[in-house]
Parts: sequence; C-alpha cells; structure tokens
Amino acid sequence: MQLAFQKGSRSRVLGGLLLIMMAIFVVRLFYLQIVMHDDYVAQAMQEQVKPLTIPAKRGLIYAMDGDKPIQLVMNQTVYTLFVDPATVTKPEQVLETIRKIAGGNLRPNLDKLIAKKDTRYQILGTKLTRQQAEMIKKEELKGVGFQEVSQRVYPEGGLAAQTLGFVNAEGKGQYGVEEALHDRLVGTDGLLKSVTDISGVPLTIGSGNINRPAKDGENVVLTIDRNVQAKAERALAEGLKNTGAKEGSVIVMDPQNGHVMAMANLPSYRPAEFTKVTDAAAFNNATVGVPYEAGSVIKTLTVATGLDQRAIRPDSTYVNTDKIKVGDREIGNATKGQTGTITMQKALDYSLNTGMVTIAQRLGDGTINQQARNTMYEYFHDRFGLGEPTGIELLGEARGNVTKSDQPGAAVQYATMSFGQGMNVTMTQVISAFCSAINGGTYYRPTVVAGTLASDKTTFSPTNPDVLRKNVISQEASSQLRSMVHEAREKFHGAKDKAGYEVGGKTGTSQTLKDGRYVDEQTIGSYLGYGAGGDGTPRYVIMVQVSGKDMNLEGGKHAMPVFTDISNWMIDYLKLQPKG
Amino acid sequence: MRPMRRMVQGGARSVAASVRKHKPDYQILLYMWLIMMIGLVIIYAIGPQRANVLNNAYGTDYYDSTYFFIKQTVSLAVALLAFALATVTPYQLLLKHAGKILGFGFAACVLLFLFGNVVHIDSIAQCSLGACRWFTLGPLGSLQPAEFVKFGLLLFAAGFLGARATQGLINDRDKTLIPLGVIVAIALVFIIGIQKDMGTGIAVIAILAAMLLMAGLKYRVWLALGGIMVLVGIAFILIAPHRLERVTTFFSGDSSNVDDAGAYHIAHAKIAIGSGGLTGVGIGNSVQATGYLPEAINDSVFAIMGETFGFVGLVGILGLFTALLMRLLKVSDHLVDIRLKLIVAGVFGWLASHVVLNVGAMIGIIPLTGITLPLLSFGGTSMVFIAAALGLSFQLSRYTAFGSKLESSSDNARQQPAWAARRSTRGRTGSKP
Repeated sequence: MQLAFQKGSRSRVLGGLLLIMMAIFVVRLFYLQIVMHDDYVAQAMQEQVKPLTIPAKRGLIYAMDGDKPIQLVMNQTVYTLFVDPATVTKPEQVLETIRKIAGGNLRPNLDKLIAKKDTRYQILGTKLTRQQAEMIKKEELKGVGFQEVSQRVYPEGGLAAQTLGFVNAEGKGQYGVEEALHDRLVGTDGLLKSVTDISGVPLTIGSGNINRPAKDGENVVLTIDRNVQAKAERALAEGLKNTGAKEGSVIVMDPQNGHVMAMANLPSYRPAEFTKVTDAAAFNNATVGVPYEAGSVIKTLTVATGLDQRAIRPDSTYVNTDKIKVGDREIGNATKGQTGTITMQKALDYSLNTGMVTIAQRLGDGTINQQARNTMYEYFHDRFGLGEPTGIELLGEARGNVTKSDQPGAAVQYATMSFGQGMNVTMTQVISAFCSAINGGTYYRPTVVAGTLASDKTTFSPTNPDVLRKNVISQEASSQLRSMVHEAREKFHGAKDKAGYEVGGKTGTSQTLKDGRYVDEQTIGSYLGYGAGGDGTPRYVIMVQVSGKDMNLEGGKHAMPVFTDISNWMIDYLKLQPKG
Repeated sequence: MRPMRRMVQGGARSVAASVRKHKPDYQILLYMWLIMMIGLVIIYAIGPQRANVLNNAYGTDYYDSTYFFIKQTVSLAVALLAFALATVTPYQLLLKHAGKILGFGFAACVLLFLFGNVVHIDSIAQCSLGACRWFTLGPLGSLQPAEFVKFGLLLFAAGFLGARATQGLINDRDKTLIPLGVIVAIALVFIIGIQKDMGTGIAVIAILAAMLLMAGLKYRVWLALGGIMVLVGIAFILIAPHRLERVTTFFSGDSSNVDDAGAYHIAHAKIAIGSGGLTGVGIGNSVQATGYLPEAINDSVFAIMGETFGFVGLVGILGLFTALLMRLLKVSDHLVDIRLKLIVAGVFGWLASHVVLNVGAMIGIIPLTGITLPLLSFGGTSMVFIAAALGLSFQLSRYTAFGSKLESSSDNARQQPAWAARRSTRGRTGSKP
C-alpha cells in the first residue's frame, strides 16, 4: 500500500505509531512461533496429552485333560472402592450407602478412614462385584471412586495348589508357576497416549498419539493332567489317612519327556483363600523345595551306575555278610539274613546296603578309591543331576548337596551315598534321574509347562521336551536296570499290580537328622517306581514320600500303597497294553 | 501544524462542500470483508469444539455443532447491513443527531445500571462478577450500551472538535478541553467505573486521542492529557482488584503461577500461538480450543488463529488490519472537512486500539483487558458497531480531495502548505481530477 499521506500531516504520526506497533507484534510473533515453537509445543503436549494405561490381561493357566488343555484358573474383574477424603462432602451418606450395598466387602473402621481429610486416597472396600460398583456409582457420591482389579478364580478349588501358586492383591504372582512364570503371565500393559480435550476425552486430532495395545499375558498350559493330579491328591490323602502320616508328596512324571503329570503335596491350601493360610509352609512345594536324604530309592541309581560302567551285571555275585567295612567304619544291612554269595538282583530286592557298597568298591580297585568316587560323582551329580537345581519352572527350587569326590573322609561318605545317605536331594531331582535311568538314558529337564494356548483358546503350541543330556547310561544298562527294578517289585508286591503289566519299584526309608544325629524313630518313607506299556516302554514314573514329626514311616509299608493305588489307576487311565 | 491550523481557520467547510462526490475507497470494504471471512472460517472450525465444551460444562446438548457458525453468520449479515446503512445514511444527518446518539448511549448506560446494579433484573441486564455490560434482547441476542456511547462520542466529538478547530480554539482549555473532558469523564465513569470494562474505556480514550491529534492539538497538551489518562488508568487499576491482578500477572511474566485465571489465560494464549509454529496446525486441528484456552471463540480468537494458521497466517491477518487502518488514515488525511477528517481518525483510533489491545494481550506484551478483536471475534454488538463505523468511513471516503483540489481549497491560507504543492505532481494516489 502506498502511504500517500500529506507532508507534515499528523496522519504520518498515527501511521508511524501503528506500523511500529505492528512491527513489534511481528517480532514478538516470530519469537513465540518460530524461536520458541518447540518449547510451546512441548508445553502444549504436556497438558494436552494424557497417558492412559490399558491393563494387560493376566494369562490363564491350563492343565491337560488327557490330550486337551482345560482351564485351571479364570480371571474375574472386581472393584476396589476408595474415597478421596479431602473431597468427600457427606461422609455419613457415603458410609450409609456403601454399607447398604457392599456391607460384606468393607474394611473395619470406615468412619476413621473417611475422616482422614489430609489424605487423598483411602481404600474402603475390596472385591466388590460389578453390580455393587454400578449401584454405588449411581448414587453419585462425591469423592468416591473405583479401581478395576483382576482377580483369579479357581474352578478346580485346591487342585495343584502349590504348583499353581496364587496372585496377591497387588496382582503379583506368588509361589508356584504364578510367581515363577509371572513375567510370561503378566503381559505388557498397553499405553494410549492421546491428545485430549480439557476434560480428558481423547481427540482424533493432534500428532504423536501413541496407541500401543495391551499385550495380554501368555496362556500357559501345564503338563499337569487334571485327572492324574486329582487321583494323586486323592491317593495321597488316603495314604496319609491310613498310615497316620502328617505330610506327604507325590510326583507323577512322564519318563519320555520329563512332563510332570501330577505334583501333590499335603497339607495344602486353596489358592482362592490364600489369605486364610496361617502357616506359609502350605505354600511351599516340598517336591522341589525341600532337600532330604532320599535313602534306598537311590540304590536304583547306584545299580544303574554299576551296570553302565560294567562293574556289575544283574547276575553278578558278591559275598554278603550283612556288614561291610569301609575305612574304619562298618556298614550294616537293614534287612539281615540274606547272607552268602548272592546276586546283585537279590541285593536290590532286599535293599542290601552291602551290595551297594560293593558296587561302589567295584567302580574302583576294590575299595572306594578316588577313581570310584570320581565315577560316582560323575554319574550322580553330572549325569543324574543330583545336588543341582533341575530347572523346573517352579519357584524356590532347592539345590541340595552332593559332596565332591576329593573331600577328606569321602570314602565313607561315598559308601553311604551308594544307598542314599550322606547327600541331600529333592524329590524332583530323584525322579528326574530315575526317569533318565529307565528311559534309555535321556535326561529330560523336568517341566510343568506343556506349551501355550493362543488367545483364541484353542490353538495349542506345545513346548518341545528339553533334552539336557543324552546317554547318561547306555540303552543296555537302562533295560537291565528296568528289569531289575521290575523284578525287585514283582518278587514281593507283584500281586498288587494289575496282572500282565510291567511295573517296577524300589522302596526307601530314610533316617532323618534330629539334633544333628541320625535317628531311627523318625524316618521318611518313600517309594519310586515306574509302569511300562506292552512294548516295554516306561510310560509313567511315580515317586511317593510320606513323613511326620517323630513318626517312623517305612517305604514299603507307608509309601508303597499310595504308589500302587496311583500306578494301577494310571494303567487304566493311559490305556496301557499288557505285555505281549 | 501551524499551516494546518491556518488552513482550517481559512474555512475548510466551504471547500468541503466544493469537493465533488466520487467513488468510495473500495479497499476499505475489501479488507473488512476478508477479515470477516477469516473470522467466519475460524468460528466454523472451532464452533463444534466450543459447543462441546459448553455442553459438557452445563451437562446439556443445547449447543448444536453449527450453533456458533450460524450465529456468527447472522452477526455478519447484521454487521454488513449496519455497514450499508452507515454508508447510505447522510453523514450530515448523523453529525446533526450526534448528541442524541450519545445521549441515547448514556441513557442506556443509566438504564443498565438501574436494572443491573440497583434492582437486579437478570432477565434484562446481563451481568457477570458484578459487571453489567449487556442488555438481554431475548432472541435478538444482546446489546452493549458502551458501543452506542463509543459511536455517539465519535460523532459528537467530531462535530465539537471540528467546530473548535475551525474557530482555532482547539487548544483552548476552557472552551475545548474541559467540556470534552467532562463528557469523556461521564463516559468513562459508566464504562470503566460501573461496567468495569477497561478495554472499551481505553478504546474510547484511543478514539479521542486520535481525533485530538488530527484536530491539531499541541503535542505538548496531547502528551500531557495522555499522562493524565495514564495516571487515571493507574488509579482505576489500583481500585479494582481484578485489574490489579491482571497487571501483576502481566508483569510477573512467564514464570507466573498458572492457578491465577489471568495468568492461565495468557499462558494458554501463548501456548496456542507458540505451538502453531510457522504454518499452524491447520483448520479444525486446534486443541487449545477444546477447552484449554478461555474465551477461545471471543477474546482469544487471535491465539486460536495463531495455533491454526501459524506465523504466516497471523502476519497475514495483522497485514490486513494494517492495510485497513492505513486506508482509514489515508481517507482521513485527504478529507477536507475537518469534522469528517476527525470521524475517520476516530474510527482509526477505535479499530487500532481494539487490535493493539487484543493482540498485545494475547502475545503477552500488554496486560489483558478483555477486549474483542474487531471483525474476527464471535459476538454481535462489537461487530455491528465496528462495521457501522467502517461503513461511515466508507461513505466519507467519497469526499476526499487530492492534489489540485486540496491546493485550491487552501488558496486562501496565508501560508501555502508545502505538501499541497508537491502532492499535485504525484499520479498514483487515486486523485480525482
């Protein structure tokens, strides 16, 4: 525009003032919009963009029902009722309303909680149902709010309680697979970062919106077979009832892949009522968490070592005098009278300690020398995995302890180790070792996870068995061992098994340490055995252990009936063929 | 200054009568129209958000998404009508009845005061925070008497000051300044004192300041009056807590606490403008309009335009206002009749003060006064009156004189103004032969 003002006109003054003002504005705008642009965008983002967390659904846990997964836990949304005491205007009305609608879910001393005016958050009630929450919301009480909380529901009650664990009020998995597999189950919360209007309603405009959907946790399918588990729990409970034992554990494992089909511990609890458990010991899974001296069941592994090293054959003989000297110590048999020249089979049948010490000696030069000890350590520790965590997906697995072969006084210790004393192992270690000894020599990492189930709840992706070691013993040694263990059972207890099926087993009675001393009046009874199909392939391995304070419990008398009960049931359940 | 006074004394009125009526300055209409259209676009874009915010706030669905757009369109139509009316109504008639228009404005103010502050009839007087500024006219909307006062004062002061300038008494304290001071004081008592409308008050002062300057008031006196106004302004600020707050907010700068409403307003205006960047977020993408920025549709529309159109857009809008204002100034400059010259100068002061006060507040260099951005802000009264004022200026642009005409018009001046001689040689100034 042409500034056609007349010279000396005061329009020039006004025009000049206007132009100066406009120039200042433009400079200021340049500063605000160009120079400080990023700064203001950041400020705008800060107040416009509100992050919303989209909670991920915790993965479900399934058990197997035969060859199909079946849901073991469910998720249920419940509501936590809270108030902001600072903004509550009518506390009496709030209390009256919530007492009327959700009386049973409220915390004590509500009137004190709601009166804490200097706080902004007080939980008044938990686990309200959606219906209760909706009813309270309708009252439009000022300062009252709800938080959605996901809660586990257990349609199977206390089934596999210690294997499952539970989820605490903060949504953290505790014990069992809930804790061990927490990271897989919990998923990743989603994030919705969106430009919102002033009342927080997301807008479709604006850039840099983030919409990261929640990644729900994995649905984990356990190897636990709900039927086997239920049977194991029933059989164990009955066994305890019949024998008066206080505590007991059972593991049922598939020797062909290391799958734990059942894992039962008594006493137990119901995960839904975890808050009512007074003794935290009930949460512990003794089969993985409590190392002990396994006793005579270990003899199967000593025999396996001897067979694999060709130090013995099933019909090898030795002279049994019911006692044997190792160093300056004399070791005796629990079962006396089978003296004379006897076979190793007989030594196993009668669970003779002298036989096992003899095998240990034959691994060396006739004494339990360094070579013998090295060989035993290699088998027990390196091959069978005793004294090391197995890597099962359960929390709190104990390591146990197998003394190294070069320690002073090791000869005597290794002599006792040959019949299951002088080392601490867990049931899971023993059963896994036994599985590898009878399945042809493949050590599978014991596992409770069979695979995952896609979110459609039908597509099952199995996890491949994890072979940790191959040929821990030879195929030949394995089949020799199997037949020895079978014969050992058949000789005395064969009549209890279903006719025509190959079942083998070995008793164990371990002394326990009481005030630092081995005692005979408090023993743990255990039984370890297997059942095979018609083709001679072992299909299940069962280990039972019963104990009680100041109780003298024997493998044959107290643990074996539980084994027999489950074993016969398994033959039917797995529809095994009789021997051809 | 001296030659001008001589010229005026020489009897400009007779010359004015001799200036032949010619085509008006269509650029005034063009710029006004462009600014109005930009305003309509922005109202169209943020209207739905504004409706949403209000519906949320009141829990109703009273405001349709096109509510504001339709109302603004109606306002524009009425404003254009006012423009047309002011264009065709002979200025002589308006000048003749200037006193009555001003009197009507004052009477309306008294009435508003009675209804609003004395008997409290809310259905007639629209008040907020004790400040009653509007009459409620039912379905016709609302009416702000201060706008009548502004318009009336513009005409009245033009007649009065024009007469005094012709008499050479423009600097006379007793005959010019004191009578004018009394009238202005009455206006300010109503507008700032009772209606608590600092922005409109400043606009009134700006109108008169522009007129006095153009009328040939001595700079010394002009500056002295300005000084008095500043002192009076400070006094007004000090007696009204909300104004003091705004000023303290302003001087405490960017670090001010956003809890304070004024600081919040300015901070968010700056966020809106700053986040617009060079080219803006685009039409319909304003986020600040979704409730963050107060008065997004009215007083803060400039900030929303900053967010929407960016630096380029705001400079363009300021350019349009500048062009319009310079056009007014040029018309004023070339009017021969001193009264008409003063009217257009007053319109310039009116428009300029609104633009400067509004924009300055939005970009944080002038304290917030709560004044509309003419032709752009949502709201009828302000738009209608500014359009009427522009319409009057448009009418008066037909009486400008250029070059030889001005020269001949001042031939009886004892001292030939230097500019008159030179102007005649310039061609492209739209001069009429």
